[in-house]
Amino acid sequence: MADTFSSMQNQYKTILKKYIEDKNEVVLYQAQQFSKKILENQVSPEETVSFHLEAIDEFFPKLPEGVRDSFELLIEVMMGFGMAYREHQSLRDKQKELEAEINVAASMQQTLLPANIPEVESLDIGVISMPATKMSGDYYHFIKDENDCIGLAIADIIGKGIPAALCMSMIKYAMDSLPEQRLQPGALLENLNRVVERNVAANMFITMMYGSYDPRIHQFYYSGAGHEPGFYYNYAEDKFEELYAKGLALGIKRETKFREYHKRVEPGDFIVLLSDGVTECRTVDGFIEREEIISLIRKYQHMTAQEIVDKVFYELERLQHFQLKDDFSLIILRRKV
Amino acid sequence: MGIQSNVEVQTEWGIVSARQAGRNLAKEAGFSSVDQARIATAISELARNIYLYANNGEIIIEFLENENVSPPRRGIKITARDEGPGIDNIRNAMEDGYTTSGGLGAGLPGVKRLMDEFDIDSRSGVGTEITAIKWLR
Amino acid sequence: MDLELRTVEGKGRKVLYVGGEIDAHTAPQLKDEIIPLTEEQETKVIVDLTNVNYIDSTGLGVFIGALKSAKNHNSKLELTGLNDRIKRLFSITGLDEVMNIDEDKREEAK
Repeated sequence: MADTFSSMQNQYKTILKKYIEDKNEVVLYQAQQFSKKILENQVSPEETVSFHLEAIDEFFPKLPEGVRDSFELLIEVMMGFGMAYREHQSLRDKQKELEAEINVAASMQQTLLPANIPEVESLDIGVISMPATKMSGDYYHFIKDENDCIGLAIADIIGKGIPAALCMSMIKYAMDSLPEQRLQPGALLENLNRVVERNVAANMFITMMYGSYDPRIHQFYYSGAGHEPGFYYNYAEDKFEELYAKGLALGIKRETKFREYHKRVEPGDFIVLLSDGVTECRTVDGFIEREEIISLIRKYQHMTAQEIVDKVFYELERLQHFQLKDDFSLIILRRKV
Repeated sequence: MGIQSNVEVQTEWGIVSARQAGRNLAKEAGFSSVDQARIATAISELARNIYLYANNGEIIIEFLENENVSPPRRGIKITARDEGPGIDNIRNAMEDGYTTSGGLGAGLPGVKRLMDEFDIDSRSGVGTEITAIKWLR
Repeated sequence: MDLELRTVEGKGRKVLYVGGEIDAHTAPQLKDEIIPLTEEQETKVIVDLTNVNYIDSTGLGVFIGALKSAKNHNSKLELTGLNDRIKRLFSITGLDEVMNIDEDKREEAK
């Protein structure tokens, strides 16, 4: 540091000398570059003033009376800036530490989400899930059993950020501990609700849609716990319908029953599940309506499921000027043949 | 150990005298004008805390020479001692953004950064003693 | 932005008039106002949302907390004056089935 310090001092001297000899924009540009270097090397404002004082002391040995003293006053006045500058540096370091900590937590959270999408010959599945900040309050889950039956869940935890993320890990472990009802949506939600109700604060709740797909008979069974309705695309009629399962959100009432719905899925049909970040997207022009989501999906429906969710996400992100207000998740499951 | 100055801090004049004593000693010790200003500012902040919150206290400024290390180190040690109310939560006071002396004072973390060594001991209802050292480079 | 909150107390019932947007920022204000009301034994707390145009999920959470609190103190919670978007939110989350929502008030107000 001491070495850099005196080299910084010399660089300043050189620039100042050049400027005094030949006032021009080139030197001023160098000075501007040098000011960046000053920040990089953490030279404080009062030190910068002292660079100047020492340089002019050397260049003009016969400084008028009082000029030198005036710089001492200036150094004193710069002390406040110097202290504020050092405080800023220390706060910035602290912020970096905090960010690093959150990054670790965020990557730990990623491991709670399924590492890959299950592959089934007759199905095409796409998923995207993006947190508004670093930690997410959205959760999704996939499972495939020995008969190629798929279980899938999408959940939205109230709020966002770290509190929601902590709650999300509870959901994940609760679901892991209830393996036997995996493919029975109603029973699964009923049990999950009991765990959640016992473990969350009074004003916390979670919404979830759970579905299971049996590719042997192409039936989709699903139940909802207060979750934002999804869509069902009917290929033969080229129509989008609402996919809604009435049910109370998790964590509100201990004994809650969940109705199970089912649907026969034809080739080309697809199921869209989403978190309410999708339909609660607010832009300057107001809310993004569900119809707009449908038209976005339509625009890309000739692509693969993964391409559709990626493109729809990109467009919604753009509508919000790339600043998500809420966590966002979108899953598409399509019957290929 | 050589010269030492004790300054009572009861009025703003006390703050000025403490600064002056610190600056004189710093100059004598051979500190650069920037370091002189830093030492004076640190003294100023500590004295202001005494003036604003303790009513009664003193600043002791001494010249330090440590010959047990090689090369021997020389520096200045500031001790601020008061019999004021003490600082309830030292950890809070040492956190950035928490200013004990209102908007103007840079507070204790600022003093700590201006100096090379810093130590604080405070007991509620008994008083506070802060020592800070700046070594000559 | 601040919420407008005004409580009118009557015999055995209290009406809380709310105005503004209930989101993550304003929800704590609502919570501080509504929870003490529900903590009195055997009271009917009516929340008038005629002047609320938006509630997000954190806001919804406050009503769930209030509902639980009312139940624990043998009190009742009733909501009135919900606009269509808010009504949909209560319906989707299933809260309309566990909460007392007065459907007609809004139309009278219109």
